[in-house]
Order: sequence, then C-alpha cells, then structure tokens
Amino acid sequence: MISRRDLLKVAGAAAAGAATAGAERAALPAGAAPAAHPESLHEQSSPRRPLEALTADEADLLTAIVARLIPSDPSGPGAVEAGAVTYIDRSLAGPLSSSREAYRRGLAALERYATLSRGQPFRELSPTDQDSLLIDVETGGATASGAGFDGSSAAFFAMLKAHTWQGTFGDPYYGGNQGFVGWAMLGYPGVRTAVTPDDQRLGARPVPLRRSAYDTDLFNKA
Amino acid sequence: MNRRHLLLVVVGTLAVVLAGEARAPQSLIVTSPAIKAGETIPRDYTADGRNISPPLQWSGAPASTREFAVICDDPDVPMPQPFVHWVIYKIPGTATGLPENIPIDPATPMPAEIAGAVQGTSGFRRPIYRGPAPPPGKPHHYHFRVYAIDAVLDLKPGLTKRELLEAIQGHIVGEGELVAIYERKPAPQP
Repeated sequence: MISRRDLLKVAGAAAAGAATAGAERAALPAGAAPAAHPESLHEQSSPRRPLEALTADEADLLTAIVARLIPSDPSGPGAVEAGAVTYIDRSLAGPLSSSREAYRRGLAALERYATLSRGQPFRELSPTDQDSLLIDVETGGATASGAGFDGSSAAFFAMLKAHTWQGTFGDPYYGGNQGFVGWAMLGYPGVRTAVTPDDQRLGARPVPLRRSAYDTDLFNKA
Repeated sequence: MNRRHLLLVVVGTLAVVLAGEARAPQSLIVTSPAIKAGETIPRDYTADGRNISPPLQWSGAPASTREFAVICDDPDVPMPQPFVHWVIYKIPGTATGLPENIPIDPATPMPAEIAGAVQGTSGFRRPIYRGPAPPPGKPHHYHFRVYAIDAVLDLKPGLTKRELLEAIQGHIVGEGELVAIYERKPAPQP
C-alpha cells in the first residue's frame, strides 16, 4: 500500500531535525532496546491481547489491512508489530466508541467487496490484490459496488488510515507504537523535557528516549 | 498592401496550411484481445473485479513514431471534463500494444516489451490504472486513446492527462481509440 520509504518521505517534515530511522538505530546507546525484529515482535504479540471492542474476526481482518497500510520489511517492523490493532480496539471501547458501528459496517463491507470483486476473503488475496482492493476502497471505487459501504468507501478508508497512523506513531500509553517501533521508523527521538547544549548543536542526533510522555510528571493522562 | 507583401502573405499561409496537413495525425487501429469495441468491459478490468489494466493492441503507426502514449477517460461523468482512468506514456515506438496487468507497484519493473514506460496521474490521484467504477444509472463510455509521438520527450512520471497532452502537442503523428462501455446496476443493500 505504502512503502516504508514513501512513509518516511511523508513523515520527514514531522520529524525535522531527527535522524533517519536507520541512523537512529545506529545511534542508540549501549543497553538501549532497539526496535524489535518483526518476528520477535510477532512472538511478543501472540497470543493477541484480549479484545475490548472488536470481534476476533474483525481484529483478524483489521490486522491484515494494517499490515498493508504500513507493512513491515527488511528495514523494520510495521503497523501490525506496532500494535495498531490493539490501539484501535482499545480506542473503540473508549474515546472512539462513537466509531464502533462504522468499523463494524465498514469491515463487513470491505470483506464483502473482497469476495464480490476478487472472489476471495481479503486475507486470502495476494498482497498485490490486497493493495489494489484497498486502493479501490480509498479512492471510492468500491462505493457503488453493492458491498454495503455506508456512503463513500473513501470515508471509511480515511478513518481507518488515520487510526492506523495514530496506533503506529502515537504515544505507547494508548496501546499502539509498541516497542516504540513507530518512533524508530520516523527517527523521532522521543519526548524530551530537557534539551542539552549538545542536543542543540547543528546536525546533532539526540539520543532516543524510549518512554511514554506519561512517564514524566509534566503530562496529564487523557 | 503591395503585390510583394500580398505574395508573402499567400506563400506564408500556404506554408502553414501545408505544414498542418503534413502533421495531421495518421489514424491508428486500436483493438484489445479482451475488450470488444462498443461492448461491455469485462469485470476484471473494472472496480467490480480485479481492476487490472486491459491488454491493448494497435497498428498503423507512421514510421516516424518514436514513442506511444495511452489515455483512458470517461466523458459520461457529470463533470466539466472527462474523468481520467489511466495515463501511460514513454511507451517505446517499437511496441504494438500494452500487455495486461501493468504493475501497480512502482518498484515493479515494466514488462520488457514496454520497458521505459511510465504512468501518469489519473482522476483517482494515483499513477496507475483504475478501471470503471461508475455510479449506477446508465452505461458509461470508456475511451482508450492511443497517441503515436514523433519524438523522445523528457516526460517525468506522474503527469496528468492535461500535462501530457500539452507536452506532446505538435508531436502527435498518429492517433486512434477503442471505445467500450460499463454500467453498474443498483444493488440491494445487504
């Protein structure tokens, strides 16, 4: 769907001043935990954390979708390993509960669209066909397909994409960005409450701080 | 106006007319092994199917052809301009068509017979083929238009239809199209 290289281009402005993901990994201090390898993260996240809002089938489908939105690749883990699905599930049980029905109907429509258009459930399609299908959902091509999207399929995709981004790059406190893989991907060095003169030197690469903003006393939990 | 000026005007006008006639695009014959002219486009080439690009074939290109370009659009949309489904160009002048299923991943190389071809930006804001996905109500016509170009132009990937047509203006030596239809029926809500 989107290569990590493309994602880094998009996110580059947001991570201004930070090193590249690879460079940041190289800059990790001795003893600091680098972003885990996809396989080890997969082991960590299996069995899945108990679901709070989604059904098991919905979570499986969502996992397959976010795996294409921000895929893991040899340069590092992606949205699945970051726990984007856990973030979405927890959020739908709490602050995003008003979107629960939109997810139920949207995921069901996407699965029907997969069967109607490609003849198989989404998870059984090849990665290329999965990407092609998601593009049709994203661009609204799936809207009038008879799959049952509420309004434009593009609206469902936009919501799904926004939540996947939040679950991959947001603060780990909310259940996503597990192992700080999202921040490592962007080269974001983490929340800092103090910046040393060395950190402010031109070209400096701050040592990544791998902790939630809520591990400090300066931020209130929301 | 004296006779000398009059003669210059006449000669100049003739030169322009003759040059224009010399550059009038030659007609290309455009066909597809998968799509019949005037008939319904098979589902595989639409958003109701795999949405892969259809195979195209052409003939009748002039010897001066160096490259080809293909645009697919739908003039039946309720918009001021036709909706663009596909823009592909820098197709080698030796090509006699496009194979089915041009890659949607930019990292995947183009098939050998059209090596060097690049895709432009469609109305879906993507540099790939996206087939018919019309609202239900009536059949829409899809024009697969092929242009033969007499120069190797410095065309960057991602051009829109308008940008491409502007860039190849004055270099079109052949032109032809295949027109087919597609209609979505209203589906009952599940």
